[in-house]
Amino acid sequence: MTIKQGTDKTRKGLIFNIQKFSLNDGPGIRTVIFFKGCPLRCAWCANPESQRKKTEKMFDEVKNCSTIVGKYKTVSELMKIIMQDKDFYDESNGGVTFSGGEVLFQAPFAIKLAEAIKARGIHLACETTGFAKPEVFNEFYKYMDLVYFDCKQWNPVLHKKGTGGTNELILKNMQTLVASGRKYCIRIPVIPHFNYTNEDAKQFGKLFRKIGVTEVELLPFHQFGLKKYTELGREYELKNVAQLHAEDLLEYQKRLQEAGVKVKINGW
Amino acid sequence: MCTTITADQEVFGQNVGNFGKLTPKMHNYRESILDAKPYVDPERAILTTEAYKKYQDQQVDIIRARVLEHVLENMTIYIEKDTLLAGNQASHNRWAPVFPEYSMNWVIDELDTFEKRSGDVFYITEEAKKELREIAPFWKHNTLEDRGYASFPPQSRLFYDLGLIGADGNITSGDGHIAVDYEHVINNGLVSYEKRIKELMKQLDLTDIKQQKKLYFYQAGLIVINAVRGFAERYADLAEEQAAQTIEKKRKNELREIARILRKVPYQASSTYQEAVQAIWLTHLVLQIESNGHSVSYGRLDQYLDPFYERDIVSGRITAEKATELLTNLCIKTLTINKVRSWAHTEFSAGSPLYQNITIGGQTKDGRDAVNPMSYLILNAIVQAHLPQPNLTVRYHHGLSDHFMRQCVEVIKKGLGMPAFNNDEIIIPSFIKRGIKKEDAYNYSAIGCVETAVPGKWGYRCTGMSFVNFPRTLLIVMNGGKDPESGKQLLPNYGHFTRMKSYAELIASWNKSLREITRQSVIIENSCDLALEQNYPDILCSVLTEDCIGRGKTIKEGGAIYDFISGLQVGIANLADSLAAIKKLVFEEHRITAKQLWQALQDNYQGEGQESIRQMLINEAPKYGNDIDEVDQLIVDAYQPYIDEIAKYKNTRYGRGPIGGFRYAGTSSISANVGQGHSTLATPDGRFARTPLAEGCSPEHALDVDGPTAVFKSVSKLNTKAITGGVLLNQKMSPQILRSAENCEKLVMLLRTFFNRLHGYHVQYNVVARETLVDAQNNPDKHRDLIVRVAGYSAFFVGLSKETQDDIIERTEQTV
Ligand code: SF4
Repeated sequence: MTIKQGTDKTRKGLIFNIQKFSLNDGPGIRTVIFFKGCPLRCAWCANPESQRKKTEKMFDEVKNCSTIVGKYKTVSELMKIIMQDKDFYDESNGGVTFSGGEVLFQAPFAIKLAEAIKARGIHLACETTGFAKPEVFNEFYKYMDLVYFDCKQWNPVLHKKGTGGTNELILKNMQTLVASGRKYCIRIPVIPHFNYTNEDAKQFGKLFRKIGVTEVELLPFHQFGLKKYTELGREYELKNVAQLHAEDLLEYQKRLQEAGVKVKINGW
Repeated sequence: MCTTITADQEVFGQNVGNFGKLTPKMHNYRESILDAKPYVDPERAILTTEAYKKYQDQQVDIIRARVLEHVLENMTIYIEKDTLLAGNQASHNRWAPVFPEYSMNWVIDELDTFEKRSGDVFYITEEAKKELREIAPFWKHNTLEDRGYASFPPQSRLFYDLGLIGADGNITSGDGHIAVDYEHVINNGLVSYEKRIKELMKQLDLTDIKQQKKLYFYQAGLIVINAVRGFAERYADLAEEQAAQTIEKKRKNELREIARILRKVPYQASSTYQEAVQAIWLTHLVLQIESNGHSVSYGRLDQYLDPFYERDIVSGRITAEKATELLTNLCIKTLTINKVRSWAHTEFSAGSPLYQNITIGGQTKDGRDAVNPMSYLILNAIVQAHLPQPNLTVRYHHGLSDHFMRQCVEVIKKGLGMPAFNNDEIIIPSFIKRGIKKEDAYNYSAIGCVETAVPGKWGYRCTGMSFVNFPRTLLIVMNGGKDPESGKQLLPNYGHFTRMKSYAELIASWNKSLREITRQSVIIENSCDLALEQNYPDILCSVLTEDCIGRGKTIKEGGAIYDFISGLQVGIANLADSLAAIKKLVFEEHRITAKQLWQALQDNYQGEGQESIRQMLINEAPKYGNDIDEVDQLIVDAYQPYIDEIAKYKNTRYGRGPIGGFRYAGTSSISANVGQGHSTLATPDGRFARTPLAEGCSPEHALDVDGPTAVFKSVSKLNTKAITGGVLLNQKMSPQILRSAENCEKLVMLLRTFFNRLHGYHVQYNVVARETLVDAQNNPDKHRDLIVRVAGYSAFFVGLSKETQDDIIERTEQTV
């Protein structure tokens, strides 16, 4: 029954996690809303449970129990949780961050929720891969005080190979965002065998200069998602790929900087 | 532009995280203390017995003064080679004196088991055992404990004996939980008290028996002041002797300086910084030779010491390094003080803590930020000394600078469990509402761990009266007023849980029963205070507390300006979660019957199918600590009858001088959650019998699944304004999280929200990795100075019993 109601696109959103006091998703103290469902299928995805746009089962072998991932929630249900930490946002200049999955995949609902959040005067950020029709993106980003925008590949062919989608829409939306003067942060997940060569860095640099991006953040590849693939009973192609650390990206960073872009490594 | 915030060290200045290192001298001194094994020391007991015999015919104030005098004149004294401050409590460092006048039975009973304890081990020589056995007969039926027991009305005694109300500390110790007026001591010297007493003595009209009684107090006051002066002189003589024998020039001069200072202070006013520190230390020490009460606190050390420091800096007499060295010296000295408690009492205070608190920060009497250079030096000293004592508290207020807050977070990162924060924004208004003068309210300090009082003006035990076990009370209520374990009918029978039809019915009997227990706790407390007042006045402590001299009364007779007390209510989270589970699963959703639940509790969840009942209780009922109104409100409501009831009962000083004379609630369970858990059968929150209860008002561990903001929200729903005795919140954080400066800043924001907007009372952080604790359990030698926060205080981890260690490990988060 609930699933059926959830198909009404603006009434309920499919959410797979809500994290209060999230430390790494924007300024101040924040609550992060994780939207379930993503149009892409990145081979390195650390949140495979976020990809499908429906509820699904995850089985933890150690604890010998299964949980259902994803729950349909209304705007008012989510607002109730968001408002619980209002004092913390106000004191710390924090707020709410939309994450995923891909929030744009549920844009109509996300916009409804964004309206409610902005009506309360709360700072709103999102993490997106920008893969959506420009009209959708254009309507959506205007609610955002800050956009974290993932840019995974400069090369459309390789992009399609690694993520299942081309980067055409992504680059277009990125351009719109940069030109809009809104606050943003472009991030590159640096993945071995996908975008980790010095040539990649050089090309990214070129691309950014063209679009007008002056600063980016690098996210080194990690294996935090490994266990989840097993729990979902799925194959994970990058199982044996070694993780990257901040120090592994210094050369890469240098190349990018040579193209005139400021680069920060968000290592762990 | 990239807007991710980066850790901006610049904003906070360059000093953040830089605390300096111990000087080689202090390093050696600290090592020698860490090496010292705690022994039970009979010396004070023997001297006390001699004095009691000699002065038996005197008025009680005089007896008590003469006892202190006799001890100070005859006890072993020494000056260690690496110290700049003189003064020792027992015949060796870390040895624990015995105070036979307060209680002696357990000392004798436990003589052969001190060394075999599972935690807080004390060694004892055969010679010492013999000496203690020799004096024991004199103390038969002649101690505070004996007199306290004798004064309990029979029904109240039952509550005490069954452990439902704990008061082991009250009935086995003298004045404690107090900060005397050190500011006055260093600025005016003990001589000022002497003068005042002499003046007032002259005015006495001895035909009036009341005034005649004052005479004894005054005489006693003069005796102790003179005794402290003589004690200081003994050290001066010793220092001179040692100087004469010392060839090395530097040490020779140091010893001469020690001698010079001790000829002067604390009797006379201090003029230099070092004199002030020495005067504070000696006074603080003697208070803990006079009485074995713990939580004897320094008050606002940064406030009264800073003028001395700044004067010496300006005159070039001292450097910041030297001043810090003296502070570390004071910290290490503070750790030398030790207390041996009965095994029963040890469970309430694991890690033999003395809770000697130093408070810094806060506001000045006129409401300005009080942080000064000394505040920073004290942080440095605490980090350098890296010891579980003294216990450091920072008074938070909204105007505390980010720089100072960040520095505090850096201290927290060191894993000391310090500083704890108390919040001016709630404590000051609560005090003013209770009748404390504004300038005094702004001058409060922490006493012991979370509790607060105005230093130098407050009677003893602003908290630390009796312990009431809430979850166990619930079990008795459910059992129709009968203690399920002993079968004794303690409370009126309002019906058995298994026959109750609604949650409202349960809560109605809870309310009536809790009020009855509250009354019993008052009777027990008053009995202890009565015996203390009649037989065990602590004269020096009273002399140094305003306005005992003015009134010619000891603290226990109503000498203090303010006198509010509070006890400790234990197991707040267990009660909350139990009530929520009962309400939802038994009465609302009928998932289990009251009978099934009651049976499971009796069987400690060991019977067939009872583990799944337990899992349901844990997983399917809402839990306190997650910002869920429906459960948070249950504990707020269930706590209120206690708050209302306790407020009705005056303490034994009411109407005899002090402002107040009342009681209020408090939740600083110290480690009583372990001890009281021991005597508590399985509870409806799914907790097994005899396992620890939750500490303070912290959520039950691992059940606060929604992060720190939710914990703060839940805790702040408690009626904090009325729980003036302290609302203790212990929080954990993995050291990994605090590695980034950005996250440290977020911790500051988190704290600010809790204090500025949610008006929290207190919070402290345990920042230690679980792996480290497990390793320390297996390799104690490698971790002899590993410190953990127990509840309101810090302790050496390896000194704790396995059970307490396990409880702490359980509560410690795994790192990623
Ligand atoms: S865009 Fe993000 S959520 Fe979607 S598949 Fe790629 S990594 Fe996963």
